[in-house]
Amino acid sequence: MDAFPEDDLDELLFEPFLPSPPDSQTWDSSNQFANEEILQDWIDDSQPSATIELEEPQDSGGTPCAVARDRYRCLFLQLRSCTNRCRNWVIDRIESMLEQVVDGLLTEDEQLTISLKTRIGLSRRQLNPTQNAGAAPPPRTIELNYPGSNVQEARRFTIVVRILELILCCLIDDIVMTKRDMYYRHPDLFGKQAIVDRYVDDVACTLGVSRSLLNVTAAAKGLTSGNFVINRPDGTSVHGLSEPEGILVPTVHDGQTLDVSCVHWVLIIEKEATFRSVLSSPQWKVLGTQGLVLTAKGYPDLVTRKFLRQLADGFPHIPMFAFVDLDPDGIHIMSTYKHGSLRLAHEVVTHADTPGVNLPNLQWLGVQSHHIYQAPGNECDTTTAAIADAQGVMKLTARDRKKAHHMLEWGVCGEHSSEPAWRAELQRMLMLNIKAEMQILDELPGGLVSWLSKQLEVMRDRSADDEILF
Amino acid sequence: MSKQYLTLHTLSDAHPSDVFVLAPTSKSILSASGASTIHIHDTTQSDFPLLQSLENVHILGIHHLVTAREARRAASAGFEGKIKIWSEGEDGAWKADGEISDQLKPGDVWAIALSADGKYLAGSSINGKINVWSLDEESKPKIRDYETKGSFGMCVDLSRDGRFTASGHENGSIYVFDNDTGRLTHSLAGLVKPVRSVAFSPNTTLLAAAGDSRTIALYDVKSGEQIANLAGHGGWVLTLDWSDTGEYLLSGSHDGKAKIWSITTRQCVATHSHGDKPLWTAKWLPKSTRSEMFALGGGNNAISFYREAAG
Repeated sequence: MDAFPEDDLDELLFEPFLPSPPDSQTWDSSNQFANEEILQDWIDDSQPSATIELEEPQDSGGTPCAVARDRYRCLFLQLRSCTNRCRNWVIDRIESMLEQVVDGLLTEDEQLTISLKTRIGLSRRQLNPTQNAGAAPPPRTIELNYPGSNVQEARRFTIVVRILELILCCLIDDIVMTKRDMYYRHPDLFGKQAIVDRYVDDVACTLGVSRSLLNVTAAAKGLTSGNFVINRPDGTSVHGLSEPEGILVPTVHDGQTLDVSCVHWVLIIEKEATFRSVLSSPQWKVLGTQGLVLTAKGYPDLVTRKFLRQLADGFPHIPMFAFVDLDPDGIHIMSTYKHGSLRLAHEVVTHADTPGVNLPNLQWLGVQSHHIYQAPGNECDTTTAAIADAQGVMKLTARDRKKAHHMLEWGVCGEHSSEPAWRAELQRMLMLNIKAEMQILDELPGGLVSWLSKQLEVMRDRSADDEILF
Repeated sequence: MSKQYLTLHTLSDAHPSDVFVLAPTSKSILSASGASTIHIHDTTQSDFPLLQSLENVHILGIHHLVTAREARRAASAGFEGKIKIWSEGEDGAWKADGEISDQLKPGDVWAIALSADGKYLAGSSINGKINVWSLDEESKPKIRDYETKGSFGMCVDLSRDGRFTASGHENGSIYVFDNDTGRLTHSLAGLVKPVRSVAFSPNTTLLAAAGDSRTIALYDVKSGEQIANLAGHGGWVLTLDWSDTGEYLLSGSHDGKAKIWSITTRQCVATHSHGDKPLWTAKWLPKSTRSEMFALGGGNNAISFYREAAG
C-alpha cells in the first residue's frame, strides 16, 4: 500500500468491493451451489491471473467457511512450540480469533463475527490541533459478520479469515511473506492488491503490533547506493556501491552487521529519476564515497523506512536529509518518512521488540522556495532570476491546492505544531500558486548534483556545529 | 532626484510566520500572516504598541486582509476559503461583523478589495470569476458577477469611488469592469506573465499593475492605453500601493526589496530592503500631520515602519 498516496488509497478502499448482484441481499446458506455461482459472477472478471485456481471449491465444494473449518482443525494439530515470545503471543491471538470462528461453525451459531480495528477512513482533520499534535487518532473498530447482511460482507469476512490463515501459516513456519505473495495466492478472492494491504494492516492494527511481527512485508521497492557494507554471518558481504544503478534496499536481519564507517550523510531522494541522475553524474565518483543515497520511488514502503530507522538508531551521528519536490506531495512524502503514515500509525509503537520506523531527526535539504527564487544577499543575480522563469516552475493544480489545504489542517502542518517551516512553504506555494520539481536545480550552474554536494556540505557543517553546541 | 526614508520602527516577530498582509486605518494598522490571528497596532505612537488581537480568525492562515479607507470596516480571507467582515466600534475595538456566506469553497474567493466607503467588497477567484458583494445589506448579497477567461484571478482592486473593479490574472490578463453598468470596460494588454497586484490611483485616473514580468505597467483608466512602464525590480512584484496624493507608488518584490516611484518623473526615487525573504505587502499609512510613512511586511515575520526624512 505504501506505493500509493494514502488519500487516494483510502478513496479506493471506500468503494464497495464489487457491484452488488441483484439478489445479493440475502445469503441462503442452504443453497451453496447457487451462491457459489453468484460469487463467481460478481468476482471481478478483469483479473489477469485467472489461471490461479480457487482452492476452496476444490477442497470440499463447500463455502469458504466450511473450508476454513477443516483447515483450522489441521492447523491446530500442527501447531508447534515456538521460541519467540512475541511471535508466540501473536500466534495465540490469531489462533483465538480463528478458534472463535471455528467454534461458531461447530456450534452452528447463526452469526460469526470478527472484529477488527482499522485506520481506514480516519481523517487527520479530526485531530485537535492544540493538543496531541502529530499523534494519530485512535483506530475505530469494525465488525465483520458471516453470513452478513449482504454478499459483500460475507466476502470481506472470507478475505479476513483467509488472510489470518495465511499469516498464521507464515508465523508457524516462521517464514516471511510479501503482501504481493499473499495477493497472488487468491487474486480472484482478493480482487486487488489494495484489499490485501488494507486487511493485513488492519490485522496488525487490531493486535497492536508492527506488520513485520506478522511475518508480512511489502515487496522491496526502494533503491539505495553508497559507501556501506552489509556483512553476513557466513562471511559474505554486500557493498552499497557494487551495482552502478543501486541495489534494492536491504533488510538487515539479526546477525548481519551494517558497516557505515565511511558514510557521513544519508540522503533520501523522492524520485527514482533524480536518484538515477545522481548516480550517473560525474560527481557521484566522489559523492558516493562520502554518503548513502536512497529512494523509495515516491511514498516510502516499510522496508525502506525500517532500513533508515536501523541506520538512525545504530548511527545517530549520521545526519539524514530529505530531498523532495517543492509541492504538497513532496512535503507529504517527507512527512511520511519523518512522522510516518497515519494509516500505519501502529507501526510506531515501541512495543516489545517492535522498533518504530519514524525518523524524528530527518532534515529538509530541499527543494525550498528560497533555493529557486533567491540568491542570498545579491539583488541583481541574473542566474537565479533565470531560474525563477525556467520551465521547472509550474502552476499548482486544483488537486495540489486541495491537498495543501488539507495538509494545513493536519497535525504536523497545523498551527502551533511541529513543522512550522513546512506549513510556511505550503502557504507560500498557495500564495504564489507555484510548485517546482527537484530537476529545476539542474538550471543552476553546475547542475543539480553540484548544488546537492554544496548543500550537503553546508548542512553537515551546520549539524556538526549543533553537536558542539549541545 | 531621490528621496530619503528612514526606518522608524520594526516590530520583529510581529507574527510567527510570513506576514502576508498589512491594512492601515487612519490611526492603526491591521496585519495578518500564515497564523490565525489578526494583530492591530497603534500607528500614532512611536513604539507602535499592540492594541488588539483577533484570534482564531482563519485557522489555516490568512492570505488577504483589507480595510475601507473612509469607513470603520475590514475584511479578511483565509486559506480555508472564508471571508469574514470586521467593524471597528466607537471605542476603537474591532469585532466580527458577519461573513460572506455564498457557500464558498476554498478558491471561490482569493484576493479581496473594499471600496473606500466600505459598502462593497470585490473578490477574485481561482477560476477567474470576479464578484462584488454589497456589505450594507444583512444578507450581503452578490451584486456583480464578472466572467473572465478562466485564468486564476491573483489580485483585485476597487476604485475609491467604487465605480470600477480591476483584476489581474495568472495568464497576464488585466480587466477593468464598470460596476455601474456591470460591463467589461477594458481588457488591458502588456503583461504576459502572472499579474500579482493591481491598484487604482486615488483619483481613479490611473491603474498600476505588476507581477512576474518585474515591471510595473501604468494604464489610463479612461482610454485603456498603457502610458508608462516602470522597470527596476529584480524579483517578481507582489504588492503595489498609491500614496494619498497619487504622487508616489510603493512596490514590493519577492526578493525583499521595496521601491518608491515618482509618478511625475516615472523614476524610482528610493529602494529599501526588508531582508532577503519575499516582501508580501507594502502600504502607505494615511497621511497625518507628520511626514509620509509606509510599512513593509514579509517573509521575515516582521513589520517595519519608514518615514520620509525631513527637509
